[in-house]
Amino acid sequence: MIGAVLALLVMAAPVLAHHSFAAEFDASKPLKLTGTVKKLEWTNPHTWFFVEVKGEDGKVTTWGFEMGSPNGLMRAGWTRNSMKVGDLVTVEASRAKDGSNNANAKTVTLVNTGQTLFAASSQPEAGR
Amino acid sequence: MKAAIILIAIAAACTVSLSAQWPKYVEPGLPRDNQGQVRMDAASPRTPDGKPDLTGDWVRADRDPRPAELAGITTEQGRGSRAVVVEPQVQGFAADPNSPPLATFWDIGTNLPGGLVLTPWADDLKKKRMAIDSRENPDANCLPMGITQFHMQPQPRKIVQTPNLIVILYEANYGTRYIYTDGRKLPPQGEPQPWWYGYSVGRWEGDTLVVETNNLRGAESGPSDGWLDVRGTPYSDQATFVERFRRPVFGKLEINVTVTDPKSFAKPFTVRINQRLLADEEPIEAVCNENQQFRVRIKID
Repeated sequence: MIGAVLALLVMAAPVLAHHSFAAEFDASKPLKLTGTVKKLEWTNPHTWFFVEVKGEDGKVTTWGFEMGSPNGLMRAGWTRNSMKVGDLVTVEASRAKDGSNNANAKTVTLVNTGQTLFAASSQPEAGR
Repeated sequence: MKAAIILIAIAAACTVSLSAQWPKYVEPGLPRDNQGQVRMDAASPRTPDGKPDLTGDWVRADRDPRPAELAGITTEQGRGSRAVVVEPQVQGFAADPNSPPLATFWDIGTNLPGGLVLTPWADDLKKKRMAIDSRENPDANCLPMGITQFHMQPQPRKIVQTPNLIVILYEANYGTRYIYTDGRKLPPQGEPQPWWYGYSVGRWEGDTLVVETNNLRGAESGPSDGWLDVRGTPYSDQATFVERFRRPVFGKLEINVTVTDPKSFAKPFTVRINQRLLADEEPIEAVCNENQQFRVRIKID
């Protein structure tokens, strides 16, 4: 068992940093939000999706989340139909440095099924 | 242990889903074991004229130390399933005692004994690039990212070898590189005009393909020119590269890269990049510029 674990850790791939993560996002500003998917951009060099989040005051805010490239997501188990407009999702992310409502997603959990998908983002995998 | 089990589950899920998402192509004619897996340790293929055949799809097999720039992103393994899986899962190779120091994607000279000694010009330029978070990295801007970043970028690349020409097709930023093996000589440095990929000619020394490159666009050409790594270790328009490619077994490609650039480095240096055959999978179309908003978002355009 331990051998298998080590093998997998060794297999962990290098980080894909398409654009400089640090130029745009702040790893020290984690974010976890739940909301409804309003728009998807399944495009290179990074996919984006936009989520409407209702605050405690009832005010609705739109957040934009960056993920990896379509190819990166596909290799991480996504299809372009994994998340659809109208889906309720919980997103873990790192906020944009500029304070805008943008963030770099790490994981997306589909609330209805509980399935968690990894965002193939430009952040490193854990445990390195 | 719980985290480890989750990691295994993730890896297993990725393996399964990958085959489900991209048409699986079982390449004929490859050496396989009883389970149909390609035997990475089988003998290297050869072309009809007896040369080693480097043709195939390849992924980088070395690992970087975790870069300091990303130190703020903490591991959450202890709390469960928060590993972020990126790009193909690549199995590394056993250490090669005859290998030059391994190149690293983030900072190419990390493993050189004593570090890579930069000239004041190069050191100053690298600091300036890092001070703005490598935002001008050609990789970040859908531009050709230079020989070493292309060799190490996690996305796969396809080598197509013909007798007189070798082409490397990079999934990353849709790059294309030509290496002429028809016996021509390198043009003089400075003629023709410099190119993103430079001008490359290759020759065989035994089972090693030796590729020389000059006429590269150095850092003088623009902010995204002359990058060796993510941190922006530069090369100048004086730079020449020598790459020595070997395929010692079926599933391994070794590339020793020597960079000579007196404007940037006190002396030439050599690093190794190992790649593993990506059997039965392929690079996938990736048109980088279809929705490139990075520069707009960070307000430099």
